[in-house]
Amino acid sequence: MSYLLRCLLLASAAAVTAAAHAQDTPSDTAVATVKVTTTRDPVDKSYRKMIKGMERFEREHSYAPAAGLRFQLLPRTPDVKMEGITLRVAGDTLSAKVPVEPDNSFVLPRNEQLLREDAAVLANRKTTSMTWRAAIVTPGLPAGTRRLGDMRLECRVGVEAGLVSNSSPLFGWLSNALTGADEVCTSPNGNYLFFAERPLFAVRLRAGERSATLPFHFLYAGGLPREELPFCDCQVLLDRTYYVPLWDASWPDDTLVEFEYMTDVPETQP
Amino acid sequence: MSVRPLLLSVALLAGCATGNIPPGTQVPAERLAAAVAPGTTTKAELLATFGKTQAVVFDSGYEAWLYQSPAGNGRFAEFVILINPQGVVTKTRQGPVSAPKP
Repeated sequence: MSYLLRCLLLASAAAVTAAAHAQDTPSDTAVATVKVTTTRDPVDKSYRKMIKGMERFEREHSYAPAAGLRFQLLPRTPDVKMEGITLRVAGDTLSAKVPVEPDNSFVLPRNEQLLREDAAVLANRKTTSMTWRAAIVTPGLPAGTRRLGDMRLECRVGVEAGLVSNSSPLFGWLSNALTGADEVCTSPNGNYLFFAERPLFAVRLRAGERSATLPFHFLYAGGLPREELPFCDCQVLLDRTYYVPLWDASWPDDTLVEFEYMTDVPETQP
Repeated sequence: MSVRPLLLSVALLAGCATGNIPPGTQVPAERLAAAVAPGTTTKAELLATFGKTQAVVFDSGYEAWLYQSPAGNGRFAEFVILINPQGVVTKTRQGPVSAPKP
């Protein structure tokens, strides 16, 4: 993973450099100019895309038949305050508040007018300060576990809804070019990151009598070098970050994903 | 944008496809199991005994270190060590066994 990221960054830099050089050449000066008046903040999400994610949840609910769908906001930079977050969906003529729970999860309401107006889902936080995920959790699971089918559906909904918030637009463009929405959740190279509730030491899969500990490179974003962390939306959640083999059909949807944490009890923040 | 930047990027990415992830330092499993004791072994002792290896350092001050132990037929078993901010080993785990990356 880290090697791939390094390569993506190198390729991105090469593309930027070459593109900048190309703009200086006389042959390109005749190209029509496009005036960009606004850019969408990476923290803001497309309402249409998030609704598409919700529609995918309905279509593929069989991965997690007992679970509902929520979305969740997570910290992406060290200084972001995760208390008191407010959300709204803003279109050209209509704006709607979205209630956020104390765990920073929320349910997105469907509104046809906001869809027509290509509304944005906006949080009251700075650019790149947060990231987003789908939260699909079957009720009644043992403490410290998740269900693989829930996570398969989270990935599909999360990718469809455009929730991952990597910071470089070109980096994101390259990532998307290499891995389409369906590929991410069905390929060993999909690299869809999950975040545990607490810092992790080990992750195990258990299905009946079969169990397996996931390799080291499934944790901590594959050992991402510190200089690359700002490009990853796992920046401040690195010790809670892990992959699971979503693509491996030999593990059924009812497989339990068990967590061993770094500490037996949560450590209090200083 | 001209196709030149895109071609350059694709060429670089193609070159990356053959890269390997650096492995952890190789140490026999028996040596690790005998020498590393949670609650007592320190980071300095690990460095002195087994040398540097692949590690992830977290903002919390914790570190996760990975050593690899030969497991026969070109395969390796993982030995993962958790070190707390005070520099003391707090947890270890062994496995899984896997073939080295080509």
